[in-house]
Amino acid sequence: MNKYKAEVVVRLKSTIKDIKAETLKQAVNNIMTVKNLQCSVGNIYKLEFEADSKASAENIIHTISEEILSNSVIEEYEIKW
Amino acid sequence: MVKAGIIKFLGTNCEQDTKHACDYLGWNSEYIWQNDIIKKKYDVIFLPGGFSYGDHISSGRIAKLTSAVKSLPIGKTLIVGICNGFQILTEAKLLSGALTYNENLHFISKITDLEFQGQIIKLPIAHHQGNYTGIGNEEIIMKYKNNENGSDDRIAGIYNRENKIIGMMPHPERAVFDELGLTDGRKVFEFIKNEI
Repeated sequence: MNKYKAEVVVRLKSTIKDIKAETLKQAVNNIMTVKNLQCSVGNIYKLEFEADSKASAENIIHTISEEILSNSVIEEYEIKW
Repeated sequence: MVKAGIIKFLGTNCEQDTKHACDYLGWNSEYIWQNDIIKKKYDVIFLPGGFSYGDHISSGRIAKLTSAVKSLPIGKTLIVGICNGFQILTEAKLLSGALTYNENLHFISKITDLEFQGQIIKLPIAHHQGNYTGIGNEEIIMKYKNNENGSDDRIAGIYNRENKIIGMMPHPERAVFDELGLTDGRKVFEFIKNEI
């Protein structure tokens, strides 16, 4: 068994309006002037677990990301090891 | 007599309202626990409103994994998701699309006008993630008159006729009793009865 650590970043797909990011932009504009500010808001999940191999670990993390951490209709996820 | 099952999830808080509404209409109703495998025959199964699993990660995300949802008799029994129940059904991909945060990012709790069956009815809404997007082959059965949450095409309720699944954000079960001042929910329950 090997130990694995992964970070899963979940954010809205670019086709879905990111309302929280719009709010963030407005808030920034209230305190300072920033040119061409682009924002996206999402969630980061940190997971640690044991698996037989990297392939098995990847399988586990993709299953968790697809089934629990994101909704494929509106969100996409990125895995960072 | 209509036999209704009402699923209780951890964090559901509208199961009693739904049961009282069923009882008022003369239906026979009982609760189904989230971890039960549904084997009994019902005419309609409700997924009531509330905050299943505290809306953690996203509304309805965890409840979709329960035994009750996985054993829903799809296509055989009419299934009705109200508010959080609608969110659970979309998360489980039993209905198309998704319910995201309201356009104004506020939790909206108010009585609102809705277009339903060619008339305007008044029902309560109470949700944070009711902004519907991504309809598939479902029929739109209910629309917000003023689209408070920013849903695509003002969608408040949809119906997959083939699989007999209805999802709606408004709460008809909170608009049945004269004492509460609103009774338009009866029209929705009448519609549900006719679709059994």
